[in-house]
Amino acid sequence: MTIDAVYLLQLTLNGITLGLLYALIAVGLSLIFGVMEIINFAHGELLMLGAFAMAFALPVTGLLYWPALAAAILATMLAGLVIYELLLARLKPDEFERSILITLGLSIIIIHAMQYIFTATPRLVDTQYGFDGVDIGAIRIPWTRVIGAGAALVAFGGLYAMLRYTQFGRAMRAIAQNREAALMVGIRPRVVARNAVILAAGLCGLAGAAISPIQLVTPYMGQFLIFKAFALVIIGGLGNIPGAIVAAVALGLVENWIGGFFEIAWQEAAVFVIMIAVLFLRPDGLFKRGGMRVG
Amino acid sequence: MSAILEVTDLSKAYAGVHALDGVSFAVEAGSITGLIGPNGSGKSTAIDCISGFQKLDGGKVVLAGTDITGRAAHRIARTGLMRTFQTVRVYERLALSDNLAIAAQQFDAATWVDEFLRTRRYRDAIEASEARARRLVELIGLQRYYEAEVGILSYGQKKLVALAAALMPHPRIVVLDEPVAGVNPSRIREIEEALRQLNEAGETFLIVEHNVEFITNLCHRVVVLEQGRKLAEGTAAEIHTDSRVLEAYLGMTPEMAVAEMESRP
Amino acid sequence: MKLAVALVAALAFAALPLLTNSNYIMGIGVSALIFTVAAAALNLIYGYTGLLSFAQLGFWGIGGYASALTVVTFGGTFWWGLVWAAVINAAVALVVGYPTLRTNRHAFVIVTLTFALLVTMIARDWVDLTRGALGIPNLPPPVAFGYEFGTTGRFYWIAWAFSVAMLAFLYALCTSRIGRTLVAIKQNEPLVRAQGISPMPYKLASFALSAAITGAAGGVYSFHLGIIDPLFLDFYFMQTFLIIVIIGGAGSFWGVVVSGIALSALPEVLRFSADFRMIIYGLILVVVMFVMPSGVAGWLRERRLTRLREQLR
Repeated sequence: MTIDAVYLLQLTLNGITLGLLYALIAVGLSLIFGVMEIINFAHGELLMLGAFAMAFALPVTGLLYWPALAAAILATMLAGLVIYELLLARLKPDEFERSILITLGLSIIIIHAMQYIFTATPRLVDTQYGFDGVDIGAIRIPWTRVIGAGAALVAFGGLYAMLRYTQFGRAMRAIAQNREAALMVGIRPRVVARNAVILAAGLCGLAGAAISPIQLVTPYMGQFLIFKAFALVIIGGLGNIPGAIVAAVALGLVENWIGGFFEIAWQEAAVFVIMIAVLFLRPDGLFKRGGMRVG
Repeated sequence: MSAILEVTDLSKAYAGVHALDGVSFAVEAGSITGLIGPNGSGKSTAIDCISGFQKLDGGKVVLAGTDITGRAAHRIARTGLMRTFQTVRVYERLALSDNLAIAAQQFDAATWVDEFLRTRRYRDAIEASEARARRLVELIGLQRYYEAEVGILSYGQKKLVALAAALMPHPRIVVLDEPVAGVNPSRIREIEEALRQLNEAGETFLIVEHNVEFITNLCHRVVVLEQGRKLAEGTAAEIHTDSRVLEAYLGMTPEMAVAEMESRP
Repeated sequence: MKLAVALVAALAFAALPLLTNSNYIMGIGVSALIFTVAAAALNLIYGYTGLLSFAQLGFWGIGGYASALTVVTFGGTFWWGLVWAAVINAAVALVVGYPTLRTNRHAFVIVTLTFALLVTMIARDWVDLTRGALGIPNLPPPVAFGYEFGTTGRFYWIAWAFSVAMLAFLYALCTSRIGRTLVAIKQNEPLVRAQGISPMPYKLASFALSAAITGAAGGVYSFHLGIIDPLFLDFYFMQTFLIIVIIGGAGSFWGVVVSGIALSALPEVLRFSADFRMIIYGLILVVVMFVMPSGVAGWLRERRLTRLREQLR
């Protein structure tokens, strides 16, 4: 079997783009876990809300991509704030199972409410870029994918800078590493937690908005992705942000390579197989539980 | 008298710090031995390593002639070393009677088959366990709470429960990790009295504590640690006048210590 | 006392097919009984042992397929199908449980969730074995000594006998020393170790038993439906088991049993659009978690304890 170099390139680029989108979701999950020690089951729904927000904002902005993206991200961050204040703020640090069940309930409510209001009909989202893109040899990479990947990279760069250089970022890292010590030096967990949730929601919103022109928007779209994100967080190490990013991009690549040469079913199974292998060999994840190490 | 517990050359380091650096001592059968030292001296690490809750980097732990070094915590307990915890551990939402029964359950001969068939062996085991539980509950003075959920008791009472639980399976030695930390003074006297009575009945104790008066009143021998090493060992009186100990731990000179001891009622 | 009430209730339930001819009502009865068993099994691993396992959905599905395949593909009887449903799930639980239980509780939840998803994917994609999305229809009614359980009313007896047997077993287990040890492990694992007990065998046994029972329940239910397909693994079932346990009170045997019977009739009462029903489920989950996290049984217990506390102080 001769492997077409251009085909491989396309798979690789698609893989990286997909991986970066996975990373946006996984990083948000890791962030929330690191700061609050809870797993947000409604995380996929934040992505879905971002996608829907984009779908509704685009016609308003005359299909202009960037304003709609900004609107979608803001909408999702607002949703994150509301979720935090209404529900998550009332959780105490050691209530892991309770947090899962609450966010699970929230996830159910959001999905079915959206389905009730907007029906399950998949929506096609059109942007100013249409299907234009970058041509490399015989293949075309749509602008929407390129921009999506680019936006993700910018977001991660910003996140890194924030975690490393701002007081707010240091506070988050402190809490993730040693909650008691952080409390003793006066860091207020509620504020940090709230901001972490808003930030994570924003990342999800970005991911959802970026995905919306690439695949169909439905109320269930978050569900398909969230389970992979959970697996990625385990593989990278709970609470470990760089780990999550590396695992996510690697997964994007692996999935595309497998999907390009084998059946789709194996592509879907890949992440779970990897996760189980990692748990057997390195139960704490491939990278040490970093508590958001950034360097 | 033979040594029930003998530890040799214990060492453990984390992140480059030597929590334990070649610590050796022995606990004689039937004695109450104290293990004291300032914060960071390695007392808690020593206890955790001896009881199997942390792994030793080096050294040996021998219990009644059996080498238990490196064994899992539950196996060490089965060999006869029972311990309590600095922050008290009890089954908060179970009755006092259940708390004590569970502590003894691994040590009787009855299996789940026996329980299911209600065999003689099972009924005898339950009877023996309950008799011992009632005696211990009387000793710690909590009879009226026998059927009550342990969660309703005060912190000091819970410490007594933990002590009773540790004694349920007729252990060879009971290691107490700060038994009176966070306990109010009247309760401390109760605990001291209970320990003294138990020791007179033949129980062996190794007690880690900060409360120097408590240790002095109770212990036959005292081992002093500092920064992971054994600083001194001897009777309570010897320790009180050992200049190295006074300096490191109490911050006093021998003259000041004598004056203090004399000023006590 | 409680046992006497339970005995009377069990007999009353047995009488249902004699009191009504409606297949619809008897169908609800079968669902109520089977779901209660699955919830009781979830209660064993979550309420008693303290491990939130989403794997139950996977076991339920494997059980359904195992019994269906035993009969349809391998020519066995329904009864053998149940045995295989239990045995295969117990084995799978041991294999999956051994590495997973050694990690922390966070990873455990996610791995069990992933397991359930994997089973769903296999049901859909391993077409040679499971016939994929089409499923296996026309499951024949169980037969014993020439007597065919062909109607809903007759099948109800099977569901009844099965539930009584499973619940009796679980009751014996939960009230035994083993059950008490599981509760101790949930409350204070380091103390359990310090008392000479190794938690791992207990956790594994609890996981395997809950898997076997859930699997057998799935096996019975698939024959009640008469068809098995990937929809059998819909997350809706997991949500139902969870809500039963949470409202009844995780860790309370009778709380979950009563809750199971009561709530199984609920979906029929809430016959609004599917979405609305799910929204209510989600709301129930969230509200109960805030207002009554230990369920009804837990709330009753707290009241009793407050009175006891006042008496003793």
